[in-house]
Amino acid sequence: MLDVAGKELRNTISDIGVLVFFVVVPLLYPLLYAYLYGGEVVREVPVVVVDECRSATSREFLRKSDATPDLKIISYCADMEEARNLMHRHKAYGLIHIPAEFESTLVSGRQATVNLYCDMSGLLYYKAMLSGCTMVSLEMNRDIQMTRLSGLSDREKEVMTMPVENEYVTMFNPANGFQSFIIPAILILLLQQTLVLGVSMLAGTEAERRRAGVLILGHEYDNPITVLGGKAFAYLLVYGFTATYVLCFVPWLFDMPQLWQMPTLVAFIVPFLLSSIFFAICISFFVRDRESCFLLFVFVSVPLIFMSGISWPTSNMPTFWKVLAQFFPSTHGINGFARINTSGALLQDVRMEALSLWILTGIYFMLSLFIYERMYRSDKMPGAEFVISMRARARRNIRVAVRDIREAGQEFIDTTQRIQNIRRYRRGKKKN
Amino acid sequence: MSGSKQGFWAIAIREVLRMKSRPLYGLSMIFAPLFCFLFFTTLMGEGLPQSLPAGVVDEDNTAVSRSILRNLDSYQQTEIIKQYANFSEAREALQKNEIYGFFYIPKGTQEMASSQQQPKISIYTNSTYLIPASLLYRDMKTMAVMASAAVGREVLYAKGANLDQAMGFLQPIQMDMRPLGNPWLNYNIYLTNTLLPAVLSLMILLVTCFSIHTELKDGTAREWMSMANDSVFKAVSAKLFPQTMVFTLMALIYLILLYGLLGFPHNNGFWPMFLAAELLIMASQGFAVFMVSAIPSLRWSLSLCTLWGVLSIPISGFSFPVMGMPPALQALSYMFPVRHYFLIYVDQALHGIPMVYSAWYYVALIVIASLPLIDIHMLRKAAYEYSYMP
Repeated sequence: MLDVAGKELRNTISDIGVLVFFVVVPLLYPLLYAYLYGGEVVREVPVVVVDECRSATSREFLRKSDATPDLKIISYCADMEEARNLMHRHKAYGLIHIPAEFESTLVSGRQATVNLYCDMSGLLYYKAMLSGCTMVSLEMNRDIQMTRLSGLSDREKEVMTMPVENEYVTMFNPANGFQSFIIPAILILLLQQTLVLGVSMLAGTEAERRRAGVLILGHEYDNPITVLGGKAFAYLLVYGFTATYVLCFVPWLFDMPQLWQMPTLVAFIVPFLLSSIFFAICISFFVRDRESCFLLFVFVSVPLIFMSGISWPTSNMPTFWKVLAQFFPSTHGINGFARINTSGALLQDVRMEALSLWILTGIYFMLSLFIYERMYRSDKMPGAEFVISMRARARRNIRVAVRDIREAGQEFIDTTQRIQNIRRYRRGKKKN
Repeated sequence: MSGSKQGFWAIAIREVLRMKSRPLYGLSMIFAPLFCFLFFTTLMGEGLPQSLPAGVVDEDNTAVSRSILRNLDSYQQTEIIKQYANFSEAREALQKNEIYGFFYIPKGTQEMASSQQQPKISIYTNSTYLIPASLLYRDMKTMAVMASAAVGREVLYAKGANLDQAMGFLQPIQMDMRPLGNPWLNYNIYLTNTLLPAVLSLMILLVTCFSIHTELKDGTAREWMSMANDSVFKAVSAKLFPQTMVFTLMALIYLILLYGLLGFPHNNGFWPMFLAAELLIMASQGFAVFMVSAIPSLRWSLSLCTLWGVLSIPISGFSFPVMGMPPALQALSYMFPVRHYFLIYVDQALHGIPMVYSAWYYVALIVIASLPLIDIHMLRKAAYEYSYMP
C-alpha cells in the first residue's frame, strides 16, 4: 500500500499540471479572493439628492445622511431629470427625494415622507441606503418628538418616545461583512474542486497511457484495496498540508473570524477530505484524457456553492435540489466549516454534517472499489500486458491505415480531376 | 485539389463532425449550460425567501411579550419554529443551524414597560448566513419598533389623539423605499440575470480553448490550416462558427426562459439583451482565441481561461460592488466580458434607459471580441511547429 502511495506521490510531483491543482491554485486562489472582498462592506455609496423643500429640516436630514458611513452625497440636483441622468450614467446608485411639502407637513404635526430610489443592480447598495437613511430618520424623529413634548423631564420624554428599546446583535460576523460570509464556503469548495480536477487529470493521463499500452498503476498487487488505499493515502498526505494552509492560515492572514478549536476542526476535516478524495476518484473514471476535466468539472463549482445553502437558505430550496446536494461532500463541508470557523461550533453541534461526510466516504469508497475492481481485473489477467499492448498497436495501425486510405482516395480524386482538366484544355484548343 | 475539401464551409462541416464524434462537446456545450439554467431558476423559484426559521427566548412570559411574538409570527418571511428556555439553548440552536436568528425578551419586560422604565428587547442573528440574517433582521427590527410604537400609541389614544396625529407624533419622518426595476427584491431576478450568462461565458472560454488545442495536440492542425488555404483568420472563424451557433441557441434559451417564461423585467424589450448576449458569446470566443494564440500550451491557456471564467462571476460586481474592490481589480474588471454584459443588463433590462447610455459597453464587448487580431498570427506558427508536451 505504501509502495503504491509512493508511486502515486511521484506521479503527482512529476506532473506539473496536477501540481498546479494540488498546490499552486490552493496557494494563490484564496489570496485573490480575499483581496477581492477585502473591503468586507460597502461604504460611502454615492447618491444624488433632489431637495424640493429647501428648508432647515430637509438640509439637516441630508447633512446627517451624508455624515453616515453608508452614504455619500455627490450632487444636489435641480430636478429629477438631472438626478436620473446621473444615475443612468452609473455616477450614483441612489436618489433621495424630499418633496416640497416636507417641512410644512412636519410643522402641522402630520407624517412627512422622504422618497428613496435605489439602484437594484446590487443588493448591497439597497442595504447601505436603507440602513443609512433609517438611522438618520430614527435620530431625527426622536429629536422632533422631544421638542414637541414640553413640560416633561428629559427622561420622561425618552420613555414617552421609545417605551420599549431594542438592540441588535449580529452574532459571529460582527461587521456583517461579505468576506467573512463567503470566504469559508469558497475555501472548502476549493479543496474539493482542486482534488477532483487533480485526480481526474492523473486518471486522464493513466487512461491515455493505457490506450498507448501501459498497464494501470499497481496491477501487480493481489488486492485492489491496496491500490485504492495507497492512492487515497497519497492524496491525503498532500492535502493535509494544503488544507492546513487554506483553512487555518488564509483566514488568519486576512483577519477573519476564527473561532475553531483544534480537535473539532481535525475531527471534521478528516472525513471531509476522505469523502472528497473518494468522490474525486469515483468521478475521475469518466475522464478519458488529461484536459477534459476542465470542461466537465469546473462549472460545477457555481451550482455547488449555491447548493450548500450558504447564500440561498436551505430551508427554502426545492426538495429535489436539497436531496441532490446531499451527495456532494462540499455541501456538508461548507455548512460544517462555516459554523466551526465563524460561529465556534463544537463537534457535537456539527455531528450531523460529520456523520454525513463519513457516510459519503463509505459510499464513494465502495463505488470506486467496484469500478476499480472491474478495470483492475482486466489488467490482472495472465498476459494482460500483451493483450493491452497488442490492442494499442492495433489501434495505432488502424489509425495509420485509415489515414493511408483517405490519402489514397484523395490522390485518386485529384488525379481524375487533373486528367479532366487536361482533357477540357485540349478540347478547348481543338475548337480554337 | 478538389474544391469541396476547402474553404469556410468545409471547415465548418468538419468542425460539426468533430463535435459530434466526442460526447465531451455535447456535455460541455449543451448539458452544462442547460443544467445551470434549470438549476438556478428553480432553486430560487420563491424569489424572496419565505418563512425563515427563527426562535424566541421569552423569559418574561407575559401578555406583552406574547403579543410581540404573535405579531412576529404573522410576518411572511419569518416563522417562529421554537421557543427556547434560555439564551444558551437558543445560541446552540443557532450554531446547529436550526434557526437563523432569535428574539430575546428578558424577564420583567412588561413590568418595566408599565412602570415606564424603558425595557430592552434584543435581536440576535447568525450572520454567517448573510442573506437570511439580513432578511430576518429587517422583520425583527420592524417588529420591535412596532411593539414599542404600540405601547406609545395606546398612551396617545388615551390622551385623545386620532390615528393620523398619533403616527405623526410617533414617526414624524417616514421612509418610502423604492427599489428601481426590482420592487419585489426578487433574488431570482437579481442573481440569475448575471449567473446564467456568466456560466455560459465560462463554458465558451473553455470549449473554444479546448477545441483549438486538440487540433494541435492530435496533430490535425496542418490539415486544418491547409483547408483554409493557410489563412489562420479563415481557419479560426470557420472552426468557431458552428460553436457560435450552438451557443447562440443556448443564449436564446436562457433569454426566453428569463424574459419570456419567468417574465423578469426587460424594460427595453428583447433585442438589446439578445444583442448583448450575442456580443458576449463573441467576446468570450475572442478572448479565448487571444489566450490560445498568446500561450501555445494547452494546460496554461486552459488554466487561464478557467481562472477568467470563474473570476468573472465575482468581478462582474453583482454580489459585491466593484467600487468596493481594490483599484487594481477595478481596472482589471474592464477585461471581463461578463462585466460589460452585466452593465448592459442593468441599463437595458432593469432600468430600461436609452441604448445610448450603454453604447460603450457594447463597444467594449466588440473590442474584446477583436482582441485576437493582435496575436492570431502566432497561432499559425504554432499550428506548424507545435508538439504536444503533457
